[in-house]
Amino acid sequence: MTDVQIAGVSKSYGPDAPVLRGLDLSVPAGTLAALLGPSGCGKTTLLRIVAGFLHADAGTVTVGGRTLCGPGVHVPPEARRIGIVPQEGALFPHLSVARNVAFGLSGRDRAARRARTEEMLELVGLGGYGDRMPHELSGGQQQRIALARALAPQPELVLLDEPFNALDSGLRTGVRSDVRAALRATGATALLVTHDQQEALSTADLVAVVRDGRVAQCGTPQEVYGRPVDPWTARFVGDAVLVPGTADGGTATTPLGRLPLAAAPAGRTEGAVLLRPEQLRLADTAAGPQGTVTDVAFYGHDAMVTVTVDGLEEPVGIRVAGPVSVRPGQRTGILVEGEATLHP
Amino acid sequence: MTATDPVAPADPAAGPAGAAAPAGRRRAGRRPPAALLVPAGLAALFALLPLGYLAVRSLERGPSFAWQVVADGRTVELLGRSVGLAATVVAASLVLGVSLAWLTVRSRLPGARVWSVLMTLPLAVPSYVAAFTWLSAFPALAGFAGAAVALTLVSFPYVYLPVTAALRGADPAQEEVSRSLGHGPLRTFLAVTLPQVRPAAAGGAVLVALYVFSDFGAVSLMRYDTFTRGIYTSYRASFDRTPAAALSVVLVAVTVLLVAAEARTRGRAGHARTGTGTARPAVPAPLGRWRLPALTWCTLVAAAAVVMPLATLGYWLAVGNSATWDPATLADTAGTTLGAAAAGAALTTLLALPVGVIAARHRGRTAHLLEQSAYAGHALPGITVALSLVFFAVRYAEPVYQELPLLICAYAVLFLPVAVAATRAAVLQSPPVLEDVARSLGRSPLGVLREVTLPLAAPGVAAGAALTFVLCMKELPATLLLRPTGMDTLASRLWTETGTGSFAAAAPYAAALILLAAIPSYLLGRHRT
Amino acid sequence: MRRPLVRRLTALLAAALLLPAVAGCGVDEDDAGLVIYSGRNEKLVDPLLDELEKAVGTTIAVRYGESAELAAQIQEEGDRTKAGLFFSQDAGALGALSTRGLLQKLPQTSLDKVDPAFRGSAGDWVGTSGRVRVLAYDPGQVTRVPDSVHDLVKPEWKGRIGYAPTNASFQAFVTGLRVMEGDDAARAWLKGIKANEPKAYDNNLKAMDGVDKGEVSIALVNHYYWYERVAEKGEDEVASRIHFLPGGDPGALVNVAGVGTLKGSDQLPVARKAVDFLLSEKAQKYFAEETKEYPLAAGVTSTVEGLPPLASLDSPEIDLGELESLQETLKMLQEAGMV
Repeated sequence: MTDVQIAGVSKSYGPDAPVLRGLDLSVPAGTLAALLGPSGCGKTTLLRIVAGFLHADAGTVTVGGRTLCGPGVHVPPEARRIGIVPQEGALFPHLSVARNVAFGLSGRDRAARRARTEEMLELVGLGGYGDRMPHELSGGQQQRIALARALAPQPELVLLDEPFNALDSGLRTGVRSDVRAALRATGATALLVTHDQQEALSTADLVAVVRDGRVAQCGTPQEVYGRPVDPWTARFVGDAVLVPGTADGGTATTPLGRLPLAAAPAGRTEGAVLLRPEQLRLADTAAGPQGTVTDVAFYGHDAMVTVTVDGLEEPVGIRVAGPVSVRPGQRTGILVEGEATLHP
Repeated sequence: MTATDPVAPADPAAGPAGAAAPAGRRRAGRRPPAALLVPAGLAALFALLPLGYLAVRSLERGPSFAWQVVADGRTVELLGRSVGLAATVVAASLVLGVSLAWLTVRSRLPGARVWSVLMTLPLAVPSYVAAFTWLSAFPALAGFAGAAVALTLVSFPYVYLPVTAALRGADPAQEEVSRSLGHGPLRTFLAVTLPQVRPAAAGGAVLVALYVFSDFGAVSLMRYDTFTRGIYTSYRASFDRTPAAALSVVLVAVTVLLVAAEARTRGRAGHARTGTGTARPAVPAPLGRWRLPALTWCTLVAAAAVVMPLATLGYWLAVGNSATWDPATLADTAGTTLGAAAAGAALTTLLALPVGVIAARHRGRTAHLLEQSAYAGHALPGITVALSLVFFAVRYAEPVYQELPLLICAYAVLFLPVAVAATRAAVLQSPPVLEDVARSLGRSPLGVLREVTLPLAAPGVAAGAALTFVLCMKELPATLLLRPTGMDTLASRLWTETGTGSFAAAAPYAAALILLAAIPSYLLGRHRT
Repeated sequence: MRRPLVRRLTALLAAALLLPAVAGCGVDEDDAGLVIYSGRNEKLVDPLLDELEKAVGTTIAVRYGESAELAAQIQEEGDRTKAGLFFSQDAGALGALSTRGLLQKLPQTSLDKVDPAFRGSAGDWVGTSGRVRVLAYDPGQVTRVPDSVHDLVKPEWKGRIGYAPTNASFQAFVTGLRVMEGDDAARAWLKGIKANEPKAYDNNLKAMDGVDKGEVSIALVNHYYWYERVAEKGEDEVASRIHFLPGGDPGALVNVAGVGTLKGSDQLPVARKAVDFLLSEKAQKYFAEETKEYPLAAGVTSTVEGLPPLASLDSPEIDLGELESLQETLKMLQEAGMV
């Protein structure tokens, strides 16, 4: 079981192009952590530094107590015992599936190699595929073989670089849960790079939101979603309702009424008050905040109703489960449930 | 290739992250491993030997003398003539190479396979044989026109081959998008297809230009004075090596400029061909009413470049007295030639491997310098390279002087860029992420090279070796000076026989040379088809 | 699946590199008692060198090449040269090596066999055979053959002259013209010839063909081309005739092929034997009969029918070593637009 400690890692491509600015991250052993961030935030650079393909300008990376990179230390990639699963799998096209999986198993005897290969193929649900060539597999199968290949040598850490990007959305969910199950089964610590917040929230135990070369917030998916540290993070990890408000003690006064706060700020504070669309309800009542429905978007399992609230410039989104009875132009009352967060 | 989804980003580095990370971030800052750097450095040093020699010789009588030679009006004029000839041959080779590549790869040309093999066969024809056949048929061609025709017809495959490969690898979806946006076939070809093959064509064009600069055989037969002919004249007329060396330095400078210019076009279009391959081959374009003109064009080129020299040789063989040549000697000479050329191709390929891999996989000054070094001697006339090896061998490697190993080394110096270019292109074909994966699975850089990079690049590397093999077979000036005393190759035998004007006696050797060189050329044409 | 390909490729590379080691090609020059660098074509001198091998009593190895390139090679080799003997197609290359002090002085007994006009002034090379510049003409078109090359600039020869401007012998003749009459005169002559729109041929053979076919009336060539042709076809079958220019005309230049021994060589004793063999009656007869050149050693005369004796020729007097200064000649030819 191995934990990952990343401390103060910086990297720039030239004087005016800093990519990582003193990034810190701590991942407990056995955790599947997602590095979530928009394109260009530096998450792939971080992954490549952890893998050893890039040298950090500053900072240290420690895996299982072993410093892999730091001042005067740079363990080459082949000595790090870190498995990687790149985008599109990147199977060796000239090797059979079995040889791909066995690629990292040198040093063991033949029988052990074969046994481990079979075991890994079984683990990813592709037992018996060993003799195929990579081009004979579907994209999802390739991705699972790539994971088997990375896990075969029992690495201390597995890095997954947007591994589900190239898959059809239908296939993606299945492969995602297979990968998660396989990682769980081996107890490996894993870092998953993604820009897809749904993927991060649904797959990972721990989500680190990366912005401009730093970790903006790190926590469980629930924490990151429910208590984002700032409006940007709030918007990045999900749909957000942001209204101006004034906090006084444990409550905030907003155009949506007085709302309880998750954490009470010191003194009287003005700021943006954040709610999630599913915290809002349409209500057939004349009490409380009122608004006009301007749009209804139906998603099957739920719908997003956009309402222009009296006294608010920006319309708010309200997630409604089940059948939707309102239509654009209709007046409606609004109820708010749960706690909000305030961002000064 | 692993990609089954045609819309998948071709190269991770060219993906959406491009805005914040500079293109090529995957490789920037990563120094080539010592296991590659050391042999590549040795190969580069090896290729730079002629430069060391030129420095010694050209400055022998002080820099002012050398400058006087270089600044002479005649020198400038000769350089102008060489540049003019090279530009013409390059332009013509591009027209031939690109048009034929498109016709054989992307159109419904009847017999496309046969044509694609035919178009590589001219590689087997030595420039002096091409020049001779054209001159004997059309004496009026002597001069610029003749030199341009002969050189174009033997060197256009340098463009044809890489462009063919690039067209096969290019993503047809881009062309379809262009058509859907309302561009006609011609506009699509110019705006989309041509840029896709530009790096490949530019690489070929550089080889053609360097070939023209270094050629002596064709221009001397065509009596067209070029820079290289000036260098030979300097040896032949004044028996003085100093001016010849000073002039050679100018050729090296031109080479460096050319290669740098090519690197620039490559830099801008760098990622165009580092894709993971196409999922789906392009649908060949119907030629419609252009079918006949296209066929005529192919026929004309094949007739001029392949049939013409063979027919001339056939004529000589027919009119010549068969008693003047001895099949046993011919077979013996052919065997020697094949052995020397095979060894030359092997050494060149081995030396080119580390340089080609670094050129494909690493950026930065070191990588650039290494690749440039490989090209340094390529425009030099064979005699200069040969004399430089004489210079070093008699001083530091006496035991191999006038032994086969030295001749093979000369081949390597002369043809290293051809093999480097082939290796580089071959390595670029496979995505670098495969090498990252192999590293993460515990392979050392050398292990990655052996188990992933080279196996994937093997077909392309082999193609480069075949091309080098053909070039070694045809080589004459360095062979004459460096061969073991008494050894004959087909090319040297050809030189001996034509020296006394006995073309009938020369014909069997020329024919054997072309036919034997045609085998690897043929394989090159079939490569990837 | 594709791994065997790599293995095969590696094996192939290794085999190719080893191949030359096992395939012994060429004569090992370390075993040879004498190494000759020959600028003369193998086809011309190979039988003679076989005889030479017998005469000197040791194995010889011969490296053929262009005279000038072999001279450059010898210069690069310096005192580490592999060659004991340099057999040059023309005097210029020998003169160049002599000037640079790379040739060993020959014993006087060897030198004395040849007229001083046909050996190096430093006594370090000696001519082995000679060739004379002549005018080949078509008797059907030419009634009065000019007695000087200077006549050829007259307008009556416009469009009727054939020559081989890239040929070394022609260039040696122009150098001779410069040495004898000065650069200005040479330049004027070239200009006059160019004004007469001469037909340029690749080589002397082709120029002879031109006369035989009547393409041109007259051509500047070496004598032996005509005699070889006559020997091959018979005089009746050859349309052209040749004319030896009298009165020391520069157009009648005699150039020689010759040999020198290399200072840096440890094969000098054998090399000297070889020189003496090449000046022997047997070798000199070979030149006379096989290559139709002039023998140069005293006491040997050509038996070729109709060939005037060398002594009877009124050729210009010139130090052949000076023919080394070809550079200036080439510049002139280039300025005249001939090469």
